[in-house]
Amino acid sequence: MKIHVYAGLKDYFEPEFEVEGEARNTDELKTLLVAINGKAEAMLSSCRFAVEEGFIDNAYKLNSHDTIVIIPPSSGG
Amino acid sequence: MTPSSSFRPAVEGSGAAASSGAGAVARGLSAEPIDMVGMLAGAHHPGAGAVVLFSGEVRDNNRGRPVSYLEYEAYGPLAETMIGEILAEAKSRWSLQTAVAQHRTGVVAVGDTAVVVITASAHRGEAYAANRYIIDRIKHEAPIWKCEHYADGTHEWGNNCNCHAVTGDVSKHIYEGL
Repeated sequence: MKIHVYAGLKDYFEPEFEVEGEARNTDELKTLLVAINGKAEAMLSSCRFAVEEGFIDNAYKLNSHDTIVIIPPSSGG
Repeated sequence: MTPSSSFRPAVEGSGAAASSGAGAVARGLSAEPIDMVGMLAGAHHPGAGAVVLFSGEVRDNNRGRPVSYLEYEAYGPLAETMIGEILAEAKSRWSLQTAVAQHRTGVVAVGDTAVVVITASAHRGEAYAANRYIIDRIKHEAPIWKCEHYADGTHEWGNNCNCHAVTGDVSKHIYEGL
């Protein structure tokens, strides 16, 4: 599945990349991402996730064709 | 499967140049300098005895460190939709005549405007309260991030909303004015 990250997460990952391996939900996706870069673990725990411009939670079943946007805590203003 | 419907923001009122007040007033995100005067000119309403304008501007320091400029990044489609949703909710909740907001993306120089919120209502109490509510929600919830670029050449993504440390939920926030 394709991953897009923003802001501080770009210190740990490319802005857009693909992950290999199965992730059925956001918790499993976090595990995959931490395996790629363990330094991102703390930030990932505070992130929201979105698919098709809508927020999702852990109950949402991820599909391999999903493009998942990982959204760190906001810091606008 | 579609995402959880309870998390999907409403599309009503979204759009970078939609109207929330008497005139067609830009709102949402802008990669160009915000036309604050133009926004204010378009925010007046014959039924409004009070107009409140908040301008969030770039300081030359952050926690004691000299700042050269800020750079804002946004997840555009969702940020635009959320700002529209926040404005629509505030307009209904406080019976506003006008509720508009625009937030910068890209590089913003010290002293320049990063975000503008304008509210207009029959009396000042509602305009002040709604304006505070709108800017608080935009800062806490809209997927917009600032990167501080310091005078020493370093940079830092910062001042993130940390409400989840208290609420235990990344989608629940604490608002100072409410």
